[in-house]
Amino acid sequence: MIKLTFWNSIVIVVGFSFLVVFMDEYMLKPWREKRWEKQAASGDKDKQELLKLARSAKVVEE
Amino acid sequence: MAIDYEVPRDKRLLYWVGDKLIDYRHPVSLIVLAVTGVFAYWSMQLHLETSFGDLLPQTHPYVQIHNRFSKDFGGANNIVMMAEVEEGNLFNVENLAQIYMMTEEVDRIYGVNHSQIDSIGHRTTRHLKVAAAGTLRSEPVMIDMPRTEPDAAEVRRIVHNSENVFGILVSLDDRAAIIRANFIEGRLDYRRIFEEMNDRVITPFTTGWVGAQMVDVDPDRAEALKVEKGTGVLVKRLFKDSAAGASGLKENDVIVTVAGAKVQHRYEIADAVAKAGDAGVQIGYVRAGAPGTANLTGHGSKLKIWSAGEPRLYGWVYNYADDVFFILVVTYCLEWVLRWMYFHDWRGALRPTITGLIAAFWGLGFIHLIGLALDPLMLVVPFLITARAVSHAIQMHDRYYEEFERCGWNKRRAIVASFAELFVPTFSGIATDAFGVLVILLVPVIMLQKLAITASWWILAITISEMMLNPIVYYYLKAPEPELVILRERGGFRTAINKFTAVLLSKSGMAITVVSWSVAAIVGIYLMRDLTIGDPAAASPLLWLDSPYNTSHSRIQGKFGGVEPLIVVAEGYDKNAMKDPHTLKTMEHFQRYLERDPGVGYSFSLADILRAVNSVFHELEPKWGVIPSNWVDVGGLFFIFFSGSPPTETAKYVSTDFSTAHVTFFCRDHKGGNIRRIIGRSKEFITDTQFDDLGIEVAQEGDGVVVKNVSPEQFWNKRETSWSPIHLVPGASIPADAAGKDTPFHVGDKIVMVGQTKVKNMDTLHDAMSDESGRSKVLGFTLDRGGKEIETTINAPWKAVLKLAGGLIGVLAAANEELVSNDLLMNFLGFFSIYLIMLFTYRSWAAGIYLLLPLIISNIIVNAYMAVEHIGVNVQTLPLVTVGVGFGIDYGLYIVSRIIEEIRIRGDLLDSVREAMETSGKAVTFTAVTMIISTLFWVTSNIRFNAEMGLLLAIWMGISYVGSQTLLPVLVLLFKPRFIMKEAEHHEGREMVRI
Repeated sequence: MIKLTFWNSIVIVVGFSFLVVFMDEYMLKPWREKRWEKQAASGDKDKQELLKLARSAKVVEE
Repeated sequence: MAIDYEVPRDKRLLYWVGDKLIDYRHPVSLIVLAVTGVFAYWSMQLHLETSFGDLLPQTHPYVQIHNRFSKDFGGANNIVMMAEVEEGNLFNVENLAQIYMMTEEVDRIYGVNHSQIDSIGHRTTRHLKVAAAGTLRSEPVMIDMPRTEPDAAEVRRIVHNSENVFGILVSLDDRAAIIRANFIEGRLDYRRIFEEMNDRVITPFTTGWVGAQMVDVDPDRAEALKVEKGTGVLVKRLFKDSAAGASGLKENDVIVTVAGAKVQHRYEIADAVAKAGDAGVQIGYVRAGAPGTANLTGHGSKLKIWSAGEPRLYGWVYNYADDVFFILVVTYCLEWVLRWMYFHDWRGALRPTITGLIAAFWGLGFIHLIGLALDPLMLVVPFLITARAVSHAIQMHDRYYEEFERCGWNKRRAIVASFAELFVPTFSGIATDAFGVLVILLVPVIMLQKLAITASWWILAITISEMMLNPIVYYYLKAPEPELVILRERGGFRTAINKFTAVLLSKSGMAITVVSWSVAAIVGIYLMRDLTIGDPAAASPLLWLDSPYNTSHSRIQGKFGGVEPLIVVAEGYDKNAMKDPHTLKTMEHFQRYLERDPGVGYSFSLADILRAVNSVFHELEPKWGVIPSNWVDVGGLFFIFFSGSPPTETAKYVSTDFSTAHVTFFCRDHKGGNIRRIIGRSKEFITDTQFDDLGIEVAQEGDGVVVKNVSPEQFWNKRETSWSPIHLVPGASIPADAAGKDTPFHVGDKIVMVGQTKVKNMDTLHDAMSDESGRSKVLGFTLDRGGKEIETTINAPWKAVLKLAGGLIGVLAAANEELVSNDLLMNFLGFFSIYLIMLFTYRSWAAGIYLLLPLIISNIIVNAYMAVEHIGVNVQTLPLVTVGVGFGIDYGLYIVSRIIEEIRIRGDLLDSVREAMETSGKAVTFTAVTMIISTLFWVTSNIRFNAEMGLLLAIWMGISYVGSQTLLPVLVLLFKPRFIMKEAEHHEGREMVRI
């Protein structure tokens, strides 16, 4: 089994952070949005309201 | 874009600051990054190190005695090794040779004090030998390794006849021998000592033993032995039925390679044999110039080796310190997953990490900057502080999302609003934490003082990493997707919080809360009475009970009765004071007196040597095993024993001018209660003996100490106000210059002062006598005789004073005394500093009480837990316990600040409390749960101390959290505090202004 040291611990935690960011941004978010849309299309009122609220929101970045 | 909207008048400055931070984000972030870079560089230079001196209260008189005499009489850093046979006895050629060689190797370990090794195989362990013509001389017990069985039997005879060896260095059943080595404090490198001990002493004589005496080839002899210079190990001697002999090796072979690699030291062969196990290891040797090979397999050794003592203990701690990386990786990853699950967004996981990381760089870099190192036992503290930084960041992130929705999805407005609205509770939380830790400065232990400064700085650095950088980092990051923000408010977690709040704020919920906390407080107060200052158990609390260290420790204790030294120094006023028979008899009486204590195993002093020499001098007749009654005989016996020994060898018994010696007690353990009792008894003996020498008896009476009896056989000389006792031999007539029957002390005199120290009870009398007699032979007494104060001066009749205390027990006694004297004050100041900050934060005398009450009860419960679990308060647990105090206040601050904020809008207290619980309470709950889970991972540590502290802090966080979520809101609802209710007057709407 790998023996954890200062440097390989740093590599693991940084790698894990990038993995979470990548998975969230490029896999989970699109998957979640599609799922909500499907649920809304099949008559889920909660998801319909959620999507309505979210789509009506005008995000001001500045 | 500057603020072009209305902001609350009471927080307009904070809104303005938040906005300006965004305006000047580039220069501010560049400066912070540059400074962080420098601190990061410094933090990379940090290393693990424990400075033993830093753990001691240097101003304490015991530690000063320890520092003065540890070089000669032995310090607190002893390693005790026990070589034990399970069958038969130690006294055969092979076993004794192994002990001799082990002693040689111990003498080569880095940092060892070469004159302070006790072993039957060491030159300084001597016995008296009657030589030809009846002369006596002292010789080492083993001048060389025994060659034959009669040699071994002779060693046994010597051991049995030497009082300073039998039962002390060799067990009474002849099955175990001790090698005790003292290490120089300035050269303590625990990791190196631990490794050298394993490689040189333990492995070669246990699993790596091949039954041969081997010596490294001297480079000057390499050519003659036909081996390469700087390599080779000579097989000097093979023992009977040895593994080396069975493999084909012969005496005078030179081993040059082991498993194909060149070999230079004998322990390298043993280590390779131990690692190879039953398969054996291939060795290359040179026999009379011709090369050869053999397969060497270890058969093991009949000796078992056990090793204990502080350097060994810390060696194990360092050995396990790498556990921290496993805990770091697991908690980091788990925290990320939990935060992502809560926020449904990677930004929620990243943002607190940035805060924690920057604060950690600032904290760790500062530790290096001021010349400190990390102690492996303090590794929980950085985790704890980082946890607090992360905790504040989670609060801020949650608020940012809340404000984002409230501000119509305007990122900048949300950032500024969350900054301004959370500034007060966040800053107050950080300030209470930082100042709370700073009270540790009161304890005069350098390590704790350094820790107080660095921890405070680290906590204060959170103001930069969290408060100042927050608006900037959020501005740089893309705004969160609205659906994620909405989703966060709709999940099962929010629903559960809402339901819990409804139950808590119902009448029955409030009643149950108050009753439960009252019962918990009462039970806690009852249980915490057993909280121990110092260590509550015999085994080391730093490692687990079944750890190799504690197993060894209890094995040695079981065989020899005690290994932890208490050194009491007998310091004379003049040279040759140690030749005074009265002083030597006092030392002997002291030994017999304290040996009756169950915590003391055995003792040793100069008096033991003298009695043994006297006995040998008189053909071992037991009646001569006593201390002679005159200086000449004592001096003669010392001459016999010490003549021919260099000062480096005699210094461990007595100083070269015979002015100072010591009595060393080997205690069975270092339990806090035992140390207190042993030190108490020592003080009692020392003072009673001194008063006995003055011919008086004293006792506590009322609020003072009174003379109860004056010996009629004690006569005195008087010169003006100065008195000197006259010692009469039995039957002698009263000298002509005696002051009649007058004495300086009369029955009924109350001792008011000794020197400049006021005497209030027997304890202060002990201390005063110790101080005064330690300083001078002339003692000043202030007596109250029938209401009249009399000052009198006594010329002490004793030649030397017994001074407490060195050795491990002495310095632990000092540390425990400092903790006891500062513990209450520290707790008070810790809570008082929190109270003061609450006073300024909420401008209310009552605010602090409301916030402190749950905290104090949490504190009581945690102390009760420590008492029940036998976790003592010592220099290691104290900082953790102090850092833990502030945990609950953060949670409470967020709740109270939110109640105030809401009551300004809603005007109704119940609604405001409910809203605070459902918003800030939700974030507090999430923070607490994640912190508790991650702190709990410390229980996996091989270092018991870290595991127990992790568990303790997790429990502390849990109780503090429950207090802030139940008791605090209920108290607010029940008592309707003015500092909250007055804000309801503004509920028509917060006054808004443009800036």
